[in-house]
Amino acid sequence: MKRYEVFLKKDGRDEYRHAGSLDAPDPEMALVLARESYLRRAEGDRLWLVDRKDLIIGDADFVAPNADKPHRHNDGERIAVRRRQLRKEDDR
Amino acid sequence: MTASGLTDGVREFLLAFADDEHLMGQQHAEWIGVAPFLEEDLAFCSISQDELGHAASLYAIVAGDGDPTGVGDPAIDELAFHRDPADWRSCRLVEEPSEDWGHALVRHWLYDAAEELRWDLVSESTLAPLAEAAVRATSEEWFHRRHADGLLDVLLVGSDSRERLLAALDDLLPVAISLFDPVPGEGEAVAAGVAAAPFDTCLPTWTGRVRDRFGVDPSCTAPSPPNGRQDRSPAFAPLLERMREVFALDPTATW
Repeated sequence: MKRYEVFLKKDGRDEYRHAGSLDAPDPEMALVLARESYLRRAEGDRLWLVDRKDLIIGDADFVAPNADKPHRHNDGERIAVRRRQLRKEDDR
Repeated sequence: MTASGLTDGVREFLLAFADDEHLMGQQHAEWIGVAPFLEEDLAFCSISQDELGHAASLYAIVAGDGDPTGVGDPAIDELAFHRDPADWRSCRLVEEPSEDWGHALVRHWLYDAAEELRWDLVSESTLAPLAEAAVRATSEEWFHRRHADGLLDVLLVGSDSRERLLAALDDLLPVAISLFDPVPGEGEAVAAGVAAAPFDTCLPTWTGRVRDRFGVDPSCTAPSPPNGRQDRSPAFAPLLERMREVFALDPTATW
């Protein structure tokens, strides 16, 4: 058995999204079984399957250094704090 | 023929088809939760559900005397669960129990290889609701065949699995041919244009498919004696009892 990753998409909207994975003996059975495991209730109109061995994987150690870069979080919080401060000073 | 009432022969013809579909669906459903792996469990119960749907559409035509419009579940249940066993017209193949997965898979293949041909025969039926049912069924049969073939493609290659499947085939072939055993009313159905031809005219196509798939010639098999689908095999009574289990618990239950 091989493990396949399942991606689904609705026609005309959204991008392909990961729906889950499944076990199947070959690509033909993977298609057949994916239809009944992930598309029983019209969850999508299109289907992609990727053999897990074909995935290019970045592991946690590779990704980790980027977890500690708060200056990249552009949520405006620091600017908002500064503006609130300025308004208070104006009010005085 | 429109909604003007079914003759006895046509009714028998429809019941034979419906009963086969119904029992095949029920038999497949017995693998829910115990099929060899999760994905197959889901796929096989979908197929079971499709077959039960085909049966329901055929029973609705019978219950509505040719017009299924407005026929509700109780009328379908009456035919599907409460008929006397003597009034059933199922064939041996769908009455036999399958306790082995290989056996269930080979039966699934044999049945669907024939069912597709059976729906073809009524795709231009003069009985309009039957032709309509054929459109939906045919779209589903394509998937059933692909599913059965996909598994056999893989499993007929391995030596252990191949042995098991061929043993199951050996066991099933004599009763599989019972699928083509006609009810006496079939002639009437063909004469009325309800079906394009008797089902056993498809036998050569089906045997050809079996030969191509398994390398075994079914015409070398002595079929179980035909009985016009008039009596039930010993396996039928326990199967019907299992099917009626919920009704037996509470006949007034609705769900």
